[in-house]
Order: sequence, then C-alpha cells, then structure tokens
Amino acid sequence: MPHLRVEEVTKRYDKVLAVDRVSFEATSGRILGILGPNGAGKTTAIRMITYITVPDSGQIVLDGKRVGPWSQMRMGYLPEERGLYPKMKVGEQLTYFGELKGLSRKDAIKTSKHWLERFGGKDWFNRRTQELSKGMQQKVQFVATILHQPDLLILDEPFGGLDPINADLLRDVIMELKSDGRTILFASHRMEQVEQLCDDICMISGGRKVLDGPLRDIKRQFGKDTVQLDFEGSNAFLDNLERDGLVKVTVRSGAHAEVRLLNGTAPRVVLERALGSVDEISRFELVEPPLREIFVQVAGMQEVVA
Amino acid sequence: MSKMWIVAKNEFVKRVRTKAFILTTLLGPIAFVAFIGIVAFVSVQSMTESEARTVAVIDETGVLFDRLVEGEDDRYVFVQPNMPVDSVHARVLTGIYDGYLVIPAAALTGSVEVKYSTVDGGIGSVFQRSLERRVESVVEEVRLDRAQVTPEVREILEDRIRVNTTVLTSEGEEAGDAGAYAAVGFIMGFLIYIAMLVYGSVVMRGVIAEKTSRVVEIIVSSVRPFELLLGKVLGIGAMGLMQMTVWAGLIMAGTVGSSFIIALFLDPSAVNLPASASQDEIMAAMDFQPPQLGADVFIWFVLFFLAGYLLYASLFAAVGSAVDQEADAQGFMLPLMMPIILSIVFIQPIIEEPNSTLAVALSMIPFFSPVPMVVRVAVTEVPLWQVGGSFLLLVGTFLGAVWVSARIYRVGILMYGKKPKLRDLIKWIRYA
Repeated sequence: MPHLRVEEVTKRYDKVLAVDRVSFEATSGRILGILGPNGAGKTTAIRMITYITVPDSGQIVLDGKRVGPWSQMRMGYLPEERGLYPKMKVGEQLTYFGELKGLSRKDAIKTSKHWLERFGGKDWFNRRTQELSKGMQQKVQFVATILHQPDLLILDEPFGGLDPINADLLRDVIMELKSDGRTILFASHRMEQVEQLCDDICMISGGRKVLDGPLRDIKRQFGKDTVQLDFEGSNAFLDNLERDGLVKVTVRSGAHAEVRLLNGTAPRVVLERALGSVDEISRFELVEPPLREIFVQVAGMQEVVA
Repeated sequence: MSKMWIVAKNEFVKRVRTKAFILTTLLGPIAFVAFIGIVAFVSVQSMTESEARTVAVIDETGVLFDRLVEGEDDRYVFVQPNMPVDSVHARVLTGIYDGYLVIPAAALTGSVEVKYSTVDGGIGSVFQRSLERRVESVVEEVRLDRAQVTPEVREILEDRIRVNTTVLTSEGEEAGDAGAYAAVGFIMGFLIYIAMLVYGSVVMRGVIAEKTSRVVEIIVSSVRPFELLLGKVLGIGAMGLMQMTVWAGLIMAGTVGSSFIIALFLDPSAVNLPASASQDEIMAAMDFQPPQLGADVFIWFVLFFLAGYLLYASLFAAVGSAVDQEADAQGFMLPLMMPIILSIVFIQPIIEEPNSTLAVALSMIPFFSPVPMVVRVAVTEVPLWQVGGSFLLLVGTFLGAVWVSARIYRVGILMYGKKPKLRDLIKWIRYA
C-alpha cells in the first residue's frame, strides 16, 4: 500500500523560504488535494516529492523509505506546464518516457497503445505530436504519466484545456486508478474540481501548511454558516444585510446569492429581510461553506498575518 | 546509469533520422569539394587576367624601356609618354594609363626604389609581383651586360637550389614530404574544431529546446539531471562521430577514385614512361607519396577529439540550461568560444614550427590543447610525456567541468524568466 509522508520539509532559494517545515501524508486509495495561492510553494513541494530537487531539511518518505531514484520509477508526474517533444511521433515519445520509467520497449509500446485507445487516440501512435490539437496533446501527456502503472500519481491541473466530455473521461480514469489503490496528489486552483474529487486536502500558503485533513471534517469544522438563495425580484436586501454587518455576500448574480452569516446571525434574519424585498423565493438552504470560500478565508487570513 | 544510455540512444536516433542530418552528411564532402573548386577556379582566373594593363614608364636611366618592351607579355603594355610626371599622373587618374613606373637613374648602380603608382589598391597581387620580377630581371640583365659578365657566371646566377624537408622520427625517415603532414595536421585540427564548436552548440540548442518545450521537467522526474546531461552529450557525440566517419569514408573513396581517374587520363609520355605503362607505374612516376602516418597519430586524434568534444559539450549544455532562448546565451558563449577560436587561429604558426614555445604551451593548456596537440602529433614527433600529460590534463579538466556543469544544469533547467548572470550560476553551483 503506497503511503507518502512529508516530514518537516524546508526548502530555501536564496533568501526566500519557498517551503517552510511542511508536513502531510497521503494514503493509498485516496486523493489528496494540494491547494494554495499562486507562489505558495506547491510546485516546490511537488518537485521535492518527485525527487527533482531535494529538501534543505526534513525528509520525504514513500513506504518507509526516503524518496530517490528508486521512487521516481514508482511515480507518475503530470506538471502544470505541459511538455512533449513537438517533432517526435506520439508513439516514439511515449515509448521513450516508458523506457525511462523502467519499462521494456515492448511493454512501453503495448501499454501506450492501450491507453491511447482508451482516450480515443487509436491512430495517433504514428503521428507527429505537433500535428495534434492541444486537448489531444493533453491526453497524450496524461498517458505518459500513467504508462508505467505508478503507485503514486501527482497531477497538477490535469483538467486544464479539456472540454467537458474529455474532462469526464479523465475523471473516470482517475477514479479507477484511485479505486485500484493508487495514491493520488491533485493540485488545482479549480475548487469545484477539488471538492468533487478529493478525499483529503492540504493547503499551503506562504510556504507554510495552513490547513489539512479530510475534506468532510474541514467543512464540518467551518460549520453550516452559509445560506444559498434562489429568488426573483430585487436583491436590495443583500446590501442592507451587508451594511448592517450581519452577513458577507460571497456570490451575487441576477437570481442567485450566497451569503456567509457573520457574528452568529440567525438564518431566519436573512429569510425575513429577503421576503421584504424579493417577489418570490424558490430555494433557501443553510449549507457548509464551499471550498472556494474556505480557501479565500484561510488564504486571506494568512495574508493579514503575513 | 542505464538510463543515460536510453537518453543517449534517443538523442542519437532522433537526430540521425532527420533529413537535415542525412543531407549534410552525404552532401558535406561534395560541398567541400565544390568550395575548394570555386576557390581554385577564382584564383586561376585572377592569374590569367584577360585584359593587359597599360603601364607608362618614366625611365630616367634611358636604357631600360626598350628591354622592358622586349619582354612584354599579355599582362602589360609598356608605353613611354613624352610629358612631365604631373601629366602622366593626371592620365592615370583619368584612366588612360593603368599606372606608371618611375625608374630612377641610380637603378643601374645599386639598390633603389622603383615607384609604381596606380589607382588599383591592394598589395602583393599577382600582377604587382610579376611587374616587380620583370623590372628586377631587366635591371639585372643591363647591369650584367655592363659588367661584361661571362655566360658561365650568368648560368651560376640562374641555377636554383631547392631545400626539400622530410620529417625524421626515431623509427627513421618518414616517407612523404612535410607538406603532406601539414595537410593531415590541418584537417585533423579542423575536425576537432568542428567537433567542439559545432557539435557543442548542437548540444546547447538541444538543451534549450528541451527547456522551452518544458519536456525537461517530465524527464527529470524519471532521470537524474547528471545522467540526462551525459546522455545528451554522448548521444550527440555519437551522431558527430558517425557523421565524421561517413565523411572520412566518402573522402577516402573520392581520393582513391580521383587518383585512379587522373592516372587514367594522364598521358604516360608526360611522365616519361612508355605508353604501355601500368597505372601503378604512372602513379610512382608522378612522385605521389602519401604520408605514412603511424597508428598513434590516429589514436591520439580520436582521444583528443572525444575529450575536446566532451569538455566543451558539457560546458555548452550548462550555458543552454541557464537561458530561455538562444539569444540570451551569447554573453556566456563568447568566453567559451575564445579558446576554440584562438586554437584554430594559431594552427598556421603551429604547423610551421610545431616545437616552438607557443606551440608546446598551447598544446599543453586544457581548453586550448585539443587542436594544437593533434596538429603537432601529425607534423612532428611529440614526446610521450607531452601528449600523455596534455591528455590527462584535458580529461581532468573535463571531469571538473562536467561536475560544475551538472550542478548549474540541474538548477538551470527548472529556472524560467529572468536572464541569469554569472553570479547566479556560481550561486547555483553551491545549492544543495
């Protein structure tokens, strides 16, 4: 059972502390979301996990053993900045990547054909990479990541550039890999995707870990402090509520609003004010805050502290 | 290290298959021969100039002009204008004359300067040299006549003695003349120069391409940067070696073929042989003596070729890793290229005097040594301690360079954005 442990890891570039004593764990059969604002240190952390760089202090352990060239063979890494050799044929490229991950030439060819077919690219094997569309290249890149059946998958924005149909296809594959017992790290800025996919999250901000744990626990910990409303008519009540310091409006559009209750405001206060303003209410629900809100709140707090 | 070979194989295969590689490899020698042909053609053309030049002669001796006219050939027409120097001068400027000679009266009594004024620039052209010889021989003739020198003495003056240099080695006298060895030395030196500069920059461009296409981050999640660096350098080196081997084969085939063809068309009587003479006899009679090179020359050539290439390729790779695009590499390239360029600049003096202090020093200092040492080995006998010592120094420098390069490389390939300074590179070397 692949189990990744990051222990008190620190990495410094010149005078910048890119990662500061960060610890977290990822377990088999679960997806860990790595979140954080731009420049938080996510990429630096991922590069240390993949043994592209090494920490200044602390250690990273896979199945009880420090990561190194041996663990690279068992990892598949999809970086945020995609890269393929534009002039090589798709098949050659995948074979090369597979061989570098320790597959025999024969196995590399066989599995890349299998996966290309799965992603609807049966006839891509002999095509030059630069002839493919961006979405196709994206899928080739994903195939390169999982060719060698890695135990640990690190996916940085894997859905970028994919249309909804292909995104669904990719999500199905990721969920299959998960139920197959792989350990998956998922880095993304798309909070709704994280919410859909992840079992656990770890949030990094300013090089430090600011939040981690099972997604459900974290949301529970923030409590049901959010009201979602669907309505028709004037939304003037939102401004009134906000002016009186009762709520913070987080989403506001023509017929939909989302507000966070502040200082123990009762949900019925929102409903009462709304009734005095709108023509009709079709939905009124008290919910846990969406991950996006938690992210903004935690990252914002972090900035204030900093 | 097995991954290094996978990288090397991939680099080699993907480059060797390209049309550009196949074309330059097959057409390279043809282009080279064509280039030599064009140069030869142009120089022959300039020697047989079509139009004769009109040269006005102001002969203060009063006796030389007639003699000059006697020896006129199709290169020049001598005229004697009866007008002051100023007018002649003006006529040269307006293009009536191509130039004018002023021969002072003292020419018949001692060394003097004869002045040739022309609007054509340049010095030492074929025409000027022939004019100089012409004037000199005419003056000589007149003075010999005046001194009433006997025909025997004249014959003595006309006899020419040539000194023909052959190269002595401890095993005895080498066959072939020194010129042939110089040619071999030059070609070998030039090939090493190409290996270091051209193949070195192929490595650099490859590194930059891998970085800008962002593939490198995927690769280094499977391969240690050091193995990637060495794999690239070795793969491209193998490509270079293959190209050189094909070139050598084609050139050898061409040489054998061409001498065969020359012999076929050459009239045996031209080399004083009966018409029935075989081609071997004709070749022998032509005094064609290919240089006899020992195996050691080739062994040292290959060793210095490889070590020189490896040294520069690893440094070029480090430069490539530090920048985002080729244009940014210029600043780092210049100091790297200086020793290579200097070593090719000094190839001529080294061929002329392979054991001069300059030649020995350059052939010992790493960074410079590959070209000068191979040239020396080809043209003269170099003591073993010098070749061996120079080679060990070079290999040592390579090991140091590859260590430094690998440390710059592993940081550089992941750095995008700002163009680094030398200071940054030094900092990278010290990173954990």
